[in-house]
Amino acid sequence: MDFKLTSDQDALVSAVDKLAARFEARPTEFLGFALVGHELERELEDGQYFDIAQVPELGPLTAAMAVERLARLPFTAEIALSMLVRPQLAGEWPRPLAVAENSRPGRFLATAKTVLVIHGENVGIVQPAAHEVEAVESLFAYPMGKLKEGTTTTQLSGSEAANIRKWLRIALAAEVSGLLQAAVGSTVEHLSSRKQFGRPLGTFQALRHRMAECAVLAGGVRWLALKAAGTGDEGDAALAASHAQESATRVVYDVHQMLAAMGMTLEHPLHLWTYRLKALLSELGGRGGQAKAVAQHCFGCGGPG
Amino acid sequence: MDFQWDSEQQTFRRAVRDFLAAHLPQDWESLAHGPGSESQSAFAKKFCAQLAQAGLLVPHWPQRWGGRDADPWTAFILAEEMWAAGEPRGGQYMNVNWIGPTLMRYGSQDQQARYIPPMARGETIWCQGFSEPEAGSDLASLRTRAEKRGSSYRISGQKVWTSYAGHADTCFLLAKTAPGREGISIFLIPMRTPGVIVRQIPSLIGEGDIHEVFFDDAEVPGDALLGAEGQAWEIVRTALSLERVGIPRFALASRMLHRAVEKLEKAGRFGHGAVEQAARARAACEAARLYSYSIVDQRRHGTPVGPEASAARFATVMAERLVGEFVVEHVPEALSGGDSMLLAHHQRAIVAGIASGAAEIQLNLIATELLRLPREPR
Ligand SMILES: Cc1cc2nc3c(=O)[nH]c(=O)nc-3n(C[C@H](O)[C@H](O)[C@H](O)COP(=O)(O)OP(=O)(O)OC[C@H]3O[C@@H](n4cnc5c(N)ncnc54)[C@H](O)[C@@H]3O)c2cc1C
Repeated sequence: MDFKLTSDQDALVSAVDKLAARFEARPTEFLGFALVGHELERELEDGQYFDIAQVPELGPLTAAMAVERLARLPFTAEIALSMLVRPQLAGEWPRPLAVAENSRPGRFLATAKTVLVIHGENVGIVQPAAHEVEAVESLFAYPMGKLKEGTTTTQLSGSEAANIRKWLRIALAAEVSGLLQAAVGSTVEHLSSRKQFGRPLGTFQALRHRMAECAVLAGGVRWLALKAAGTGDEGDAALAASHAQESATRVVYDVHQMLAAMGMTLEHPLHLWTYRLKALLSELGGRGGQAKAVAQHCFGCGGPG
Repeated sequence: MDFQWDSEQQTFRRAVRDFLAAHLPQDWESLAHGPGSESQSAFAKKFCAQLAQAGLLVPHWPQRWGGRDADPWTAFILAEEMWAAGEPRGGQYMNVNWIGPTLMRYGSQDQQARYIPPMARGETIWCQGFSEPEAGSDLASLRTRAEKRGSSYRISGQKVWTSYAGHADTCFLLAKTAPGREGISIFLIPMRTPGVIVRQIPSLIGEGDIHEVFFDDAEVPGDALLGAEGQAWEIVRTALSLERVGIPRFALASRMLHRAVEKLEKAGRFGHGAVEQAARARAACEAARLYSYSIVDQRRHGTPVGPEASAARFATVMAERLVGEFVVEHVPEALSGGDSMLLAHHQRAIVAGIASGAAEIQLNLIATELLRLPREPR
């Protein structure tokens, strides 16, 4: 056990940090939900960041660090699945990736080159033709899309499907971790600067404790996500995704309460993170789905189904 | 104690439902999204006029002002049915709930004659100019000033988050005529007054809802003042106590919860996890309903409404939270074009603990006034 980064990890994290710094500012003229970072994505492609997990000295753990760092940005791009799930697929599958779960709209689905199709316990895979996907308008702060009914997919075997599910959980937790940190950071900034009743909001204990709890939840998600990426263990993945969705549910409510009316405007960036978190709350079966996975992999009860 | 509706109340609720069924257009659910939008505002004007003609806009107002002196239960049943249908009255619910009654109590004869009849006919939209950039929860620190010059007042300052301002005819405005809380006064200001400028704020809650309103040396006659100079705090306390249980949010929340469960059942997805959460949310809605009814009942019996109103309001915030979370987690397609009514509910639910006073302030009130805990040191 050693929580210190290796020099390779350290170098990679610094490089991602440096790249991210250039995308830290939100264009003030943007007043929508899905702020897509096309340039960010290009740079990640050019720098071969999507292949971090395959580099032996780095591996999925370092990829998870990159995912959570980049999720803190106001811009979004399909990063998590490319970095953490794609390396697990047998054969060559082009990125970006998306998931279509129970026929619902999914993140980045309209532009995905590879789609994982989840129906109950089954996982299929397809490279959709342009006419098989469509963009849908959404309040979620990701570009959302739909896979048309009747698209034929190749079914993954039971063990492949289980492995993909596991890595989807890890990708979800890493993304949630970054989003939580950004949402908490943005709210802390607000509570420090805004005054009511002649004092900063952050001096009210009713808010201090709740904010501190949010920060602890975010930190816990981060450790669980990193550990799961490091071990690739099914139980770890289930715990990470479970804590991620549980924490996100709570933090989203709290930070919006604390920003109050300011958090309702599209002029403030908070929604860029909270409405991504909201999109992640339902994935992979939501909290019930994660609880089932925890029961199965950590308590050894309840088989699949 | 009796938890059943009497036959008159049942008949009234049925009449309101029949009216809604007959008057809401086919595409109402897509319209309901964006309570301050062009399309809904236009619809609301037509709809409120029809409600007025059917005697369903202000039944609880005195006969003299177009009502029939109906009791608070009637008013609340009406509010429940309207809110549960997506509030087709738009911003006019405020006229009905508190602006009209406040003018009846504190307005001059001229003000009453000028403003109340158009409200009773469903023809006019008001907005509430309280909050400012630096004055949210701390409303008393507002800075908009009204200076007396001869027989008129000149108003300078800025309001924010003002709902319906883009379509409003008149603003119920708070401004300072002297320093301090005791220096706050109320002005009834036509929105067309030169120097009044409205800017819409793009928001999470739909088109046309919240705005900034600027007052650039806007001149209004002396008789725009409601009550006396410095009387705002007293008047607003009364007005806001009407507003606090004014919106029966639990009614739409529980209707939407049922809709979400129905969808899940149909898709074979109402399983483990969803069931427990739905049950919890349903119970929270019922608790909010009964809490709110207890306040209505106090009004009905003429008992002064105390801090329990804050408790009812917070119970409602909890219910909205649980239903909102349930839908986002289990029917997320609702937010991506899958169900415009669930989307409309989501956009209303997220402000339940913010609009008309933040939930944490209600908790402070409950702690101080209901539990009688010592106050936090300032
Ligand atoms: C959809 C919507 C519609 C609205 N419509 C109108 C309208 O028509 N007219 C109008 O005038 N206003 C309107 N408002 C504004 C509303 O009244 C304010 O948002 C509300 O009073 C809270 O103020 P604030 O947003 O400035 O939050 P703040 O006062 O900045 O509060 C931020 C956070 O700090 C907390 N806080 C503040 N003080 C304390 C304390 N002493 N102890 C503990 N916690 C504290 C709050 O609870 C909140 O969580 C609207 C708001 C919304 C969201």
